[in-house]
Amino acid sequence: MNKTRFIIIAITLTVLSLAWLLLTPTLFPVADADASRSAPHRGFYAPSFTLETPQGDQHALEDYQGQPVLVFFWASWCSVCKSAMPGLESVYQEFSPQGFTILAVNTTTQDILSSAVNEFASKGYTYTMLLDQDGSVTNAYRMRAVPTSVLVGPDGRVTDVVIGSGISEGFLRARLSQLLAQESE
Amino acid sequence: MFPIINIGPLAIQAFGLILLLSFFTGSWLAARFSAGLGTNTDVIENSILVGLIAGLLGARIGFLLKNPAVFVNNLFSLVSLTPSMLDVSFGILVGLLTALIIAQKKYLPLWPTLDVLTPFFLLIFAGVHLANYANGDGFGIPTLLPWGIQLWNATRHPVQLYALLLAGVLFAWLIWHTRLLKTTGFNRSGVLFSVILGGMAIITLFTRAFTAEKILLGAIDFNQAVSFAVLLASLGLIYTRAFPNRKKVSVIISMGSNVDPHTQLSKAVEVIAEEFRLRRTSSRYQTQDVLEGHQAQDFINQVIEVETELAYPDLVKQLKAVEVSLGRQPGNKITVALDLDVLTYGSEVFTIQGKHIPDPGMLKYRYIALPLAEMSPDFRHPGNGMSIRDILEKITDDTQVLKINEVENGIEI
Repeated sequence: MNKTRFIIIAITLTVLSLAWLLLTPTLFPVADADASRSAPHRGFYAPSFTLETPQGDQHALEDYQGQPVLVFFWASWCSVCKSAMPGLESVYQEFSPQGFTILAVNTTTQDILSSAVNEFASKGYTYTMLLDQDGSVTNAYRMRAVPTSVLVGPDGRVTDVVIGSGISEGFLRARLSQLLAQESE
Repeated sequence: MFPIINIGPLAIQAFGLILLLSFFTGSWLAARFSAGLGTNTDVIENSILVGLIAGLLGARIGFLLKNPAVFVNNLFSLVSLTPSMLDVSFGILVGLLTALIIAQKKYLPLWPTLDVLTPFFLLIFAGVHLANYANGDGFGIPTLLPWGIQLWNATRHPVQLYALLLAGVLFAWLIWHTRLLKTTGFNRSGVLFSVILGGMAIITLFTRAFTAEKILLGAIDFNQAVSFAVLLASLGLIYTRAFPNRKKVSVIISMGSNVDPHTQLSKAVEVIAEEFRLRRTSSRYQTQDVLEGHQAQDFINQVIEVETELAYPDLVKQLKAVEVSLGRQPGNKITVALDLDVLTYGSEVFTIQGKHIPDPGMLKYRYIALPLAEMSPDFRHPGNGMSIRDILEKITDDTQVLKINEVENGIEI
């Protein structure tokens, strides 16, 4: 390719790209609708739900508006869940005075209710266990594997979705410190 | 969206799997490209791998630096395999710096190495978009177009797939242009890299328009602005690499003859000195015919360095004319009146009409490397960065090559 031809192509590309860059805000405005949408993904409002504990008490996500909530999907046959739960307990002990809540949603459609209740009770966890008896919350959160952890900020928006063993004590502590620091600012 | 891939009883996170696969496929393709072009495949592969490991460690250390309290509570979590406790940008920085330091230490030449890495960069680029699609990250704005996808409670532009598709087109062009990763397709190193860089910038600039999550600087998307800057930089790079200001190129030529060789080489040097600026010459060396064993007449070899403004193809044409004018019969490999071979053309690395520059012969044959070492003791191979001393040490060719000392009354070996 000779020099002149290259210069013509380069200038054309530059002009077209600059035009696209400047026209983007007009042609493709960022959707305002997304700001009020709920979806199980970072940045969206966490889908709302109301579930019962094994004892029959009702808990709604909305009850915890204004404080950070961890929605933790788990099953009693899931070893990764079981190895993560003691860590959750210690973080819960540490941060619950500052309003932090854990809703441990048992995927009851894929579990045996009695084993799940036994597992939770025998370990003496003090956070809230909820039963997703018809799988509707599991569906609303598009859960593909247990454990799936959805951290919801005080403003009701999802800040993190962690699939699998990534929901460690260290990670949770770090994110909670950030969230609570942001809130107190 | 497919965040989890189920293989039998295993549930694997698609995001990580896709990135790892594109990383390893990319480095495998880069290694193949490197082997074809004659750059330093081992060092390139090593720096990619060490860069990856350093990047992962760096990402964890970056997370530690931002959240020191986490690790004070539990030192074990510093080394745990948890994929979430990573600071990605810090990891990329550490990985790139590590790879760069290794490359520098091993004298990897910048532009040829970047050329060789183009399939690697492009696969990582495509991999990130596919991984985003798998995770539902980097999603598009809502659309009414028929090919919109359902994601996060809206029908949206499948923007990750737009980018993936365009990256695929660019990759197909790369494969076609490089004749299945055998040549860079340009006579100057670094042009291929700049073209691919520009292509990735254009793809990002174009597709980011459809992305919902934007980082806005005023009304302009930050990512688009950066892509535009990268595009300008890559156009500038193509311009300076492909049309350099300094036209004079230093060329090293290997000469050989086995028909009245001393007279022939003297004549050749004379003719060449008339047509080019002669910079340096080596002594002459006597070599057994490498191709024919002892049957043919021994060769006398010599290397010279000249300066030229000619483009490579014109240079070769002119050298062929010199060969023919001094009695070379094309095709005759037993009696060779004069053989002129371009060993290096500036610091460029390319393949043209099946001929590799730098000539791979200098890594194989003593009769080329020995005079070269004498003429330029600080020579480094423009492709793989090896010093001429290392090259000589690695050559396994055991043909006898003897330096000829010319004395007043004739020739003494």
